[in-house]
Parts: sequence; C-alpha cells; structure tokens
Amino acid sequence: MKIPLLLLQAGIAVLAAPLVSGFVRRVKNALRMRQGAALVQPYRNIAKYMRKEEVVSETASWIFRWTPSVVLGSTLAALMFVPVFSFSLSAAGMGDVLSLFFLFSLGRFFLALAGLDAGSAFGGMGSSREMFIASFVEPAAVLAVAVVAAHSSSSAAEPLVRSMGMSFSGMIAAASLFMVVLAETSRIPVDNQETHLELTMIHEAMLLEYSGPSLAMLETAAHAKQLIWFSLLGAILWPWPIGSSSGLSAVACAAFFVLKIILCAIVVGLTEIGLAKMRLFRVTDFLGLAFLFSVLALVVSGLGY
Amino acid sequence: MFFLSQNSRWCFDPLALFFLGVIVVVSLPSLLFSAGYLRRQFSRRRTALATGLTALFVISMAAVVASANLILFLFAWEFMSLVSYFLVVFEHEHEASVKAGTIYLVMTHVGTAFLLAAFLLMHAQAGTWDFEGIRTAAPAFPVGLKNILFGLFLAGFGMKAGIVPLHIWLPYAHPQAPASVSSIMSGAMIKVAVYGILRFIAGMLGVPPVWWGSAILVAAGISCLVGVIYALMEHDIKKLLAYHSVENIGIILLGIGAGMIFWHWGWWVLACAAFAAGLYHTVNHAVFKGLLFLCSGSIHVATGTKDIEKLGGLIKRMPQTAASFLVGAMAISALPPLSGFVSEWLIFQVFFAGLRDAASGGKLFFAGMMACLALTSALAAACFVKAFGVAFLAMPRSRAAAEAGEVSLSMRSAMIFLAALTVALGIGAGLVWKMLCAVAASFLKPPPAVWDGLLSGSWGLIRFPGTDACLRTPMIMLALSAGIAAVYAFVRLVSRKHSVTVGRTWGCGYYRLDHRTEYTATAFSKPFRIAFGFFLLPYRKTEKIRDSFYHVKEFSYETSTTPVFKRYLYDPVVGGLFRLAQYVRGFQMGSIHWYLAYVFVTILVLVVIFGRP
Amino acid sequence: MTLFLLTGIMILTYAMLVCHRIPALIQNFRLQSLFLFLVTLDFAVRQKEAGVFVVAGLLLLVKVILIPSFLNHLVKKIRVDERLGLFLNPLLSLIAALFLTWGAAVFCAWLVSDSPAVVFAAFVVSITVVLVGFFIMVFRMKALTQIVGLLVMENGIFLLASSIAGGMPFFVEIVIAFDVFVCAIITGIFMYRINKVFTHIEVHRLTDLKG
Repeated sequence: MKIPLLLLQAGIAVLAAPLVSGFVRRVKNALRMRQGAALVQPYRNIAKYMRKEEVVSETASWIFRWTPSVVLGSTLAALMFVPVFSFSLSAAGMGDVLSLFFLFSLGRFFLALAGLDAGSAFGGMGSSREMFIASFVEPAAVLAVAVVAAHSSSSAAEPLVRSMGMSFSGMIAAASLFMVVLAETSRIPVDNQETHLELTMIHEAMLLEYSGPSLAMLETAAHAKQLIWFSLLGAILWPWPIGSSSGLSAVACAAFFVLKIILCAIVVGLTEIGLAKMRLFRVTDFLGLAFLFSVLALVVSGLGY
Repeated sequence: MFFLSQNSRWCFDPLALFFLGVIVVVSLPSLLFSAGYLRRQFSRRRTALATGLTALFVISMAAVVASANLILFLFAWEFMSLVSYFLVVFEHEHEASVKAGTIYLVMTHVGTAFLLAAFLLMHAQAGTWDFEGIRTAAPAFPVGLKNILFGLFLAGFGMKAGIVPLHIWLPYAHPQAPASVSSIMSGAMIKVAVYGILRFIAGMLGVPPVWWGSAILVAAGISCLVGVIYALMEHDIKKLLAYHSVENIGIILLGIGAGMIFWHWGWWVLACAAFAAGLYHTVNHAVFKGLLFLCSGSIHVATGTKDIEKLGGLIKRMPQTAASFLVGAMAISALPPLSGFVSEWLIFQVFFAGLRDAASGGKLFFAGMMACLALTSALAAACFVKAFGVAFLAMPRSRAAAEAGEVSLSMRSAMIFLAALTVALGIGAGLVWKMLCAVAASFLKPPPAVWDGLLSGSWGLIRFPGTDACLRTPMIMLALSAGIAAVYAFVRLVSRKHSVTVGRTWGCGYYRLDHRTEYTATAFSKPFRIAFGFFLLPYRKTEKIRDSFYHVKEFSYETSTTPVFKRYLYDPVVGGLFRLAQYVRGFQMGSIHWYLAYVFVTILVLVVIFGRP
Repeated sequence: MTLFLLTGIMILTYAMLVCHRIPALIQNFRLQSLFLFLVTLDFAVRQKEAGVFVVAGLLLLVKVILIPSFLNHLVKKIRVDERLGLFLNPLLSLIAALFLTWGAAVFCAWLVSDSPAVVFAAFVVSITVVLVGFFIMVFRMKALTQIVGLLVMENGIFLLASSIAGGMPFFVEIVIAFDVFVCAIITGIFMYRINKVFTHIEVHRLTDLKG
C-alpha cells in the first residue's frame, strides 16, 4: 500500500510549507529593496506561538477551541489529494480534486464560525468577507479544474497526475487558477497578509482572537494550504509525468516539484508587488475575470487545443 | 367507486418504495418530535388534533406515492394538499398563518388544475386510468401532445416542489406550520412532487426530447441560485430553511434534468447515474432538512422567537440541539464526509461527464450548470455560517435567548436520530449509491449490459460510472478524524505546561463588550446584498429625529430587499385578475329578474345551437 | 514557452478591460508590449535571423520604454482626472471580450485546422488583441484611451503578422515602428491642445462642437 508513503509526503509537506511563505516574503522584500526577515521567520513565529500561553474569550464555545484542529486536520487530509511529490492518495481512490475543494470549505466553514464565536465585530466581519469571497472563488476554481481534467480526457480522479503535455486551454485554465490562488492564499489584490488594519484584513480578522498554540496551528494550516494550491497550479501549468516508481525518477520529480514551487512563489511575489489591494466589491470583478478565463479555456479546449 | 374496481390500485415498484422510504424516514422522527413539541405549545385537545392531522398527512403522502392509477393519485394528491393546508393554518389565531394558508391553497389548486388537465389528456389518448396501461401507450402519443403534457406536469408538480418562480407560497407556508409539520412538508411533501416528475415525465412519456432536460436544468439552476440568495437575506430561521428547500429542489432537479439529456443521447450509464444522483440528494435533503426544521422548532420552543437576530449563545444552553443543527448545517453546505457532500459531488461528476463528452454548445451549457452548482453550494455554506454563527455562537442578544434551556428528551432524540442518519448517509455512501442506481435503472430500463457499469464498487466506495472517479467517504472520514485527533493531541502534548486563560474579548478599550457590538446577521449578509443588488434591489430608509441641528436624539435605520417575484410577476397577475373581476361584476346586478333573464337567454342560445336536427 | 507568453498577452489584454484608471491602462500596455517583445525574441532565437533581433530591440525601445513613458508624461502634464470613464462596466466589457475571443477561436479553428497549438494560440491571441483594442477605443471616454487602443491594435497586428508569415519584411517593421511612435506623439500633442481648449479630453463631450 502507498499509505505510509502518503503520510510521509503529507508530513514533509507540512514541515516544508512555512518555508514557501518565507520565500515569498523574501522575494517581496528583495523587490522592495528591503532587508526583510529571514527565510525561516515563519518557523520562528510558529515556535514562539507554541511557547506562549493561550487566551480564550469567555463567550467562546467548543467550536472556537476545536477549530484549529479541524482546520489543520482537514488540510492534512487535503494534502493527500494533490500530487505533491510523486504520488497522491487520489491514486488510492479516496476522492478527486473536487473533494479537495470541499475539504478546504470544511476548514473555512469552521474558521468562519470561530470568527463569529468570540463575539467581536472584527471576527464577524472577517467571516462574512471570507465567505463572500469564497463563494465567487468556487465556480472559477471548479470549472478551471474540470476543463483541465476534461481536456486531458482522463477522469476527474487524477487529471493532474497524468502527463498531458502543454495545451493552450490548460494555460488559460492555469491563468484562472492563478487568480483563484491569489484569493485563496489571501494575497494582495484580494486580501493582504501584511496588515492588521481592521478595514482591510479578511483572513487575519478571523484569527484575531486566537493566540498561542491554536494560532500556531492555524498559521501552519494556512502555509500548508498555500503549498497545496501552488502544487496544484504547478501541476496544471507544467505537467510532468509523475508517478513512476523508480528511485531516480522520484528524486528528479521531487527536484522538479521544488523548482515549480519556487517559480510559483516568485510569480506570486511579483504580482503582489505589482498590484494594489482592491476594494471588497471590486473583488467580484477580479474573480469574474477568473471565471471568464475558465469559460474561455473550455471554449478553446472544445476546439481541440 | 369505479376506480377502486380497476385491477391496479397500488404499485410498489422500486421508485415508489424509495419515496415511501423517504417519507417514513422523515415522518417518524417528526412525529416523535411533535410529541414533546406540541405539548409545550398547545392544549391537550389541539395536540391530539395536530397529531391526528399529521398522521393523516403522512398517510396521504404515502397513498400518492403508492397509487397506481390516475384517479387514485389525484384523490390522494388533493387530500394531501388539503390536510397540509389545515396544518399550515393550524395556528389560525395568527393572521400570518391564515394569509400563508390562503396563498398556499390558491397556488396548490392552480397546480392541481394543471395536473388534472394533463391526466384528462392522457386518459383521452390512452383510454385507461392505469399507470401501466398509459406507460405502454404513452411513447406512441403524438409529439405535440407529449410536449403539452410535459409543460403541464412541470408546472403542476413544479408548483408543489417550489421551482422558481412558482416557489412563492413555500417561504410563507412552511414556516407557519408547527415545526414537526414543516419538517415533514419540506422533507417529504415537496419530494412527492419530485416523485411526480420522475413518475410521469421520465417514467411514462418515453425517451424525452433534449429540450425537456434543458428546460428542467435551466429551471433548476435558477431555483438553486434564487433560493440560496433569498435564504441569505432571510433572518427568520424557518423562512431561511424554506428558501433552502427551493435551492435543494433545484439541486435535485439538476441531477434529473441532466439524466434526461443523457437519456436522450443514449448514454444509458450516465443517465442512470444522473438520476441516481438526483435521488441521492432527494433522500439527503429529506433527512437534513427535516433535522434542521426540527432544530428550528426546538429553538422556537426554548426561546419563543424564530428571529436569529434575537438569538445567540445557544450552544452553551442547548448543546445537543446545537450539535444536531451543526451536523445539518454541515450536510446542507456539502461539507465532507456528510451526506450532502456525497450527493453534490455526484452531481458535479454528472456535469463533468457532460462537459467532457458533449458537443460544443452542450459543453458550455453543462459548464454553466456546474458553475451554478458551485456558486450555490458556496453560498449555502455562507448562509449556514450566518445561521449557526448568529443563532448559536457568541453572546445572547435577548433575554429569551439568555434564559433558554435544552428541550425535552423526545425532541432531542428525534434530532439526534436524524443527525446520525445524516452521518450514516455520508459514510455508507457506496451502499446507498448502489441501491439508488438500481432504483434509477428500474424505471429507465436500460439494456442489461449497463448494469455492470453501474454496480461496481463496494459499501464504502463510489465508483462513478463514466468518469471513473472514485470516492471513499469512510477513508475521508478516517483521514479527517485521524488528522484532527493528531493535531489536537499534538497541541495538548506540546503546550501541556502552558495554561489556557479565559479572558474577555478585546473591546477596543471599552469597559466591556455586550451583545450590541456583535456582528449581526444583517451585517453578515451585507456583501451579498450588495453583490446581488441587481437582483435583490435593496433599499434603505434612514430617519433622524433631532432636538436641534447639532443633536440627533434618535436615529432609525431600516433596510430591506425588494421581493422581485411578488412585485413584478404575481402582483400584476393578481391585479389583472381583480380588474377582470371588476368587469365580470357588471353582470352581477343583484336582481333576480336579471338572473332569470340570463337563464332564459342561455337556454335560447343552447337551443339555437344544439337544437337543430 | 511561447504558449506561456501568449497566454500572458491574453491575460494582460483582458486585464486592460478591468482598468479603471489611466496609469493602470498604460502600465498594462507596457507589460503587454514586454510580453510581445519576449515572444519576438523567442522567435528570433529560433529563426536565428539578425533582422528579427533588431525588430525585437526596436519593439522594446519604442513600445516598452518610449511610448508608455511619453504617455505617462502626458497624463502628468495635462493633469486630467485619472479615471477612464467607462461606457460599459468591467464585467460587461469582459463578457463582450469573451464573445470576441470565442468568435476569434472558432474562426481560427476553421482557418488553421490541424496546425499545432502554438500557431492556433498565436492566431487567437492576436485577433483578440486587435478586437479588444478596438473595443477600448469605442467604449472608453477619454481621448487618451483612443491612443492606447490604437497601440493595442497595432500590437495585435504585429503578433498576427509574425505568426502568419514569420514577420513582415524588415524595413516595413522599422517603418511601422516609427510610424506608431510618431502617431502616438502627434495624437498626444493633439490631445494636449484639446485639453487646453476645452479643459477636458472626453470624446463624447466633443459632440458639443456640432453647434
């Protein structure tokens, strides 16, 4: 069975995920001509949170206490669906990319509830906006993945682990998915990770009442989720025959994977530098564009390209 | 009575049995719930009356589903409508109930009129009242007649199912009935309309032309979106759930409509799978919507209000109700590994297959439907974050909510039973899926080779035929619970030395936060109100009462959305009817001589027309 | 790789329709030209022809550096309201552009059936760019957008030419490049005058001149 390997893969991915966030920050700081924090700063943050005491609001219920576990747990489960290095549990028939999206919405659902649970207006605002953005992300993401899957004429189960060659429709779908990734990883035109200004934050607003180890869990989950999105994007943008069994090719795949993630991180960093944050109600335009690209990808794929 | 002497009165084929099962599964817990619920609300005599009516209601639904000839069906249907009307107006001391009941009665009778017309047409053509007889005769009906029959059935059953724009009665009538009855109405009665669509349109008229399926899909897609957007705007918990019924009927019909298109194209396996996916959502929706309505009844009993803006913090005072509601909310938001997730995943697979294999225009159509479903499920999740978060979490917003207590054992056990069933329908998906494929195949009657494609997979595994996508819900459940447990254990282990302090929520320097600073449901739904403003047409009124120019004594703010369908569709129609009535009133002189003259003239005219040899 | 660049041009073309402000539009145009330069460079490397390298360099000089800088300078100088003035809101513009691309794609599939994906993509993208440039000229209010629209169209034609026949003859390219540059400058000056005389550069308000 592949399950031990999958667990190993999920473990490595979770451990490596903060590095990706650190790298994106390095890219941004380099472009801004700033010294910036070290590459391993996310690890330091997490380690620090783990040592801190935790303060829980007196109005909060068990939803608030369990949410970090649910969010990170569902992300861990989601890690088994994507071709991170060379294999995915979707090969074991557990589900497909759609189930991955649904797993993300499980985490988001609980996080939004936890945002409301402390009774502060900030959390509620964050929840409301997060769910708002998520509703417009979903159609674009589902359709983009469906088009790629249909074009490679494989099943939805593993559209991404098969070699399919580069195609024009796949590229356009990747453009759509890239915008989705910006929204889902709370990056600049949609959200801003670097601010704690009450009028602009979305994802951070939901985490506002968290502290200590719970916050560490939620941050880890956010890093891991970002890694999952990047690897999904990488797999669509630049498919590579993944899944061969010999040791050497596994190493090659892993190296190639790292390269793809680095590229994604650089592009995301560049985009974040180049764009300004949008007003909340213009985000619908942004995600509408993403959806349109998905439709366009479908049209092009229908013509056979 | 002549129709009882016909040789086929009842039929218990797989389709009927499935819907009987759905009715029973929802009704029994609801009856159990009503034992505790009604006693808290009403006197002993009225409790007995309500229980009796509910029992009659359930029996009439069962009779509709099991009847095997048109007249029996129509009698049972009408009986069901009437009994449910009495249940809607059960609290007749409230004016709202009577008004809702009237709307319901009018709408349901318009629907029945459509059905009656369709049945008479069928009888005239086939010469029999039996389903079986019509079934053999119907494929040979002329095409024009078939199309008319399709329209009549869609309108008639759509009225009962609450397809947009025929849904208008649903958010009035469902919330007015006692909660146990709303649960049955939303869980079972609108499913009877789905049964009607399956039985008469898919099961009798033969292979459908492609526009039937497309029409159903378009209606379903609109129902999904309209239902869920209105639900987001709604803060009365029962009305919110009623709008979600509109949405979920849409999702069910998405499966059925796609199935009809595939059937037309001769894709037997996918057609069976699409119908089965629709049926899967039918049973899921019955269970979780029944559950949610029962929970709303518990809230109503415990706090005396249905307005979620007046609730809050109930999770601490009603933990079991809260947990049950959470399960229902997760299922309706399609979160893994619960039941709603499985059926929506299946319908996504149906559309994926359509998108992949259809020709160019069809591709776009299925893609549109897929996007529609994705948007709907995400909006539903937002809506239930709102409903659960505002009603159950944080601080109570009223004294009633602060003093609420857990409800009685019979009510709790009914809710917990349905919650357990929701989980079971998710975990045991493979088993349910196989059964439903068999049901779908039983009335589609595909060639035998198709069966093998349908029935692969085991109890824990769905292998979607056509796309070869697999879903193992027990594995997902296992992965999720293992992940959650591992994280929880890890945190507890690492931070064992560090304490958890309970403190106040930071109030930006104010001494103490109270419920007035909490985020409200209205505020939560504001982004949606603005984004869908082109359809909801929101408006607001602000009013300042001033002492002087500088000092505002009171400030009132009111915001609401325009009921588009009522204002731009129903009001003109009703207005037109009234104007017509005005003309007709010209004949009503109130004088007996005039009436005698009418009779005389009528007889004369009849004699002139028909009296000639 | 070419496919990647072409998709980039496509995205930027669409992004132009979402722009609300003039500087954003110019920036977008600059990026689009940069991608076009990369496509040409890629082409030049493959063709190993000195002339194409020169054309690419000219592209970089004129369309990536000179014209956008000039336009930015102009915007600063006439100190006009930054907003573009949309006759059609972004979402509707996007949907319109989607239909344009759809039409282009169907047309190209018919025109160049059975050719490799890169050729098809180059065709679709270039036609889309031309049409969207036209669209921008028609549906935006400020006179400056007419210049940008024209330049976008020119980009599209350049791409089309290089994807059909491996580019136009060397001298034609050079002449076009200067032509475009001069055109941009002349219209820029013209606009400067319009702004001086009428204190605005909104084209739809020029109908007042009818008297």
